[in-house]
Amino acid sequence: MGIHSVGTSDAEAVRRVLGGDTAAYATLVARYRDRLARYAVHMLGDREDAEEALQDAFVRAYRSLERCDDPARFGAWLYGILVNRCRTTGARAARRGRVFVRDEAALNGVAHPSAAERTEDGDVVQRALARLGPEYREAFLLKHVEDLDYEEMARLTGAGVSALKMRVKRAREQLQVILREAERV
Amino acid sequence: MTLLVAATLVALQAAAQRPDSRLERLDSITRPIVAALVDSARAAALPTEPLVQRALEGATKGATADRIVAAVRGLALDLGHARHALGPTASPPELTAAAAALRAGAPAATLTELRRVRRASLIVPLAVLTDLVASGVPVDSAAAAVLSLAANARDTDLVEFRRAVERDIALGAPPASATAAAATNTAVQVNAGARQQRPGRP
Amino acid sequence: MFEPDEELIGRVVRQLRRPVTVDANLDARVMEQIARLPARRAGGTTRAAWHWLTRPRTVRLSPLGALAIAAVFVAVVLSRPDRLSHPASTGAREFSFVVVAPRAATVSLVGDFNDWDAARTPMQRAGKQASVWTAVLPLTPGRYRYAFLVDGVSWLADPAAPAARDDEFGTPSSVVTVGGS
Repeated sequence: MGIHSVGTSDAEAVRRVLGGDTAAYATLVARYRDRLARYAVHMLGDREDAEEALQDAFVRAYRSLERCDDPARFGAWLYGILVNRCRTTGARAARRGRVFVRDEAALNGVAHPSAAERTEDGDVVQRALARLGPEYREAFLLKHVEDLDYEEMARLTGAGVSALKMRVKRAREQLQVILREAERV
Repeated sequence: MTLLVAATLVALQAAAQRPDSRLERLDSITRPIVAALVDSARAAALPTEPLVQRALEGATKGATADRIVAAVRGLALDLGHARHALGPTASPPELTAAAAALRAGAPAATLTELRRVRRASLIVPLAVLTDLVASGVPVDSAAAAVLSLAANARDTDLVEFRRAVERDIALGAPPASATAAAATNTAVQVNAGARQQRPGRP
Repeated sequence: MFEPDEELIGRVVRQLRRPVTVDANLDARVMEQIARLPARRAGGTTRAAWHWLTRPRTVRLSPLGALAIAAVFVAVVLSRPDRLSHPASTGAREFSFVVVAPRAATVSLVGDFNDWDAARTPMQRAGKQASVWTAVLPLTPGRYRYAFLVDGVSWLADPAAPAARDDEFGTPSSVVTVGGS
């Protein structure tokens, strides 16, 4: 794929791709992959589904790149595509009746106790997240983990700002209840 | 050239498909035999990747043609037995794990029973069974313990169970009793967890 | 109004903000899929540029926008990801292998996951500590035999891992099992 030098901004990369330089898209994939993965994994609770949604989002973004209004904000636009993909994937997974799959770092035959401990803790949080309704989980993640402001969230999700504020509030309340329950156990 | 190699060369005349280029690392005697074994496995709908890897392991370790051919043949036979025990729905990694368990001495009936009681993947229970035997646990004890846990235990429970056994053996406990004790403890935890936990669905 | 539950949520958020990695082959899969699409024509540039110029642009620095700007200062080096011998698939997890070999000049990780090719996965010394060597590999579910090759000649099993039972080639091997379906 070659080496892309310092100074390739999003806008520049988008311009190149639209000009026919397909390889320049790889810059964008590499740049946003992990950041978007974080959202997808927490939203879907399943790494495979998350990778599928991610791959799907990147390909769709490439195909409709002309419709990206502001190439300098490619990231935000890509994000909106991913949020949508996660909604579709989440719905499919729910219909399959899929049970939450745990992080499998703990299954490594080579033992690293600290990694196992981290997994345990992250496990509880991920399970708690899974018990939120998808709209609440989505709002919570976008606001508190991905640090978006409400206007941006409204653009991404199509919901109104006050509805989103309510969802975040409810998500926090429910998480507190669920986690306190888990601690008592 | 030994009798084994010569006999195998004569016996195997399966028409070769496009050979895996990785087999070029094998010498000119070993390569056609292994390629033929791989083809036979493919024709029998058995996974071929473990066979290729076993041959490559032998090549990297500088093993003789005899040993490589014996290892690959043995594995191919084990995979066939594993398929027979687990049935046609077994995935390639499950078959590989099952082949190792059979080689460790697990009865085929144990594998069949495992398939019956556990809906989730069998990779980890089979691996735990094999690893326990490698640690010195008698195969019957290991098989009984894993079977008792297989229906309800998650993969992480089984790994924890194996670690507990190995820890106790390292501390001097007799392998069989260490296994039985750890299995009981794990069962208690698994059942307790099942009552308390209400797994969420995304 | 201050709530003690702030701490709990704070802990949750800190947890969730931790970086998440996915399969290293994802980039390659995306680019492969894109390569199969019909080629883009240069005319697209004109359309997009025109569209961009005609939209009112409000500069709003969202965190994602900030990321894009920060990225200007970062060199992006892309190379062809290592092909594993197993077909690339989703569901691979990264595992780290560690071995102590104080007097080694080189150590290779060799196993079922890399065609037993001693050149494929050279291990790195962990920091300044000369005796600890590490390597990280993404692995899909399955059971893998492996060993460490020291200085190209000595085989070392992994003392922290279960031993491979059949030792048909006269040298020790270890096993790592990755769960999942």
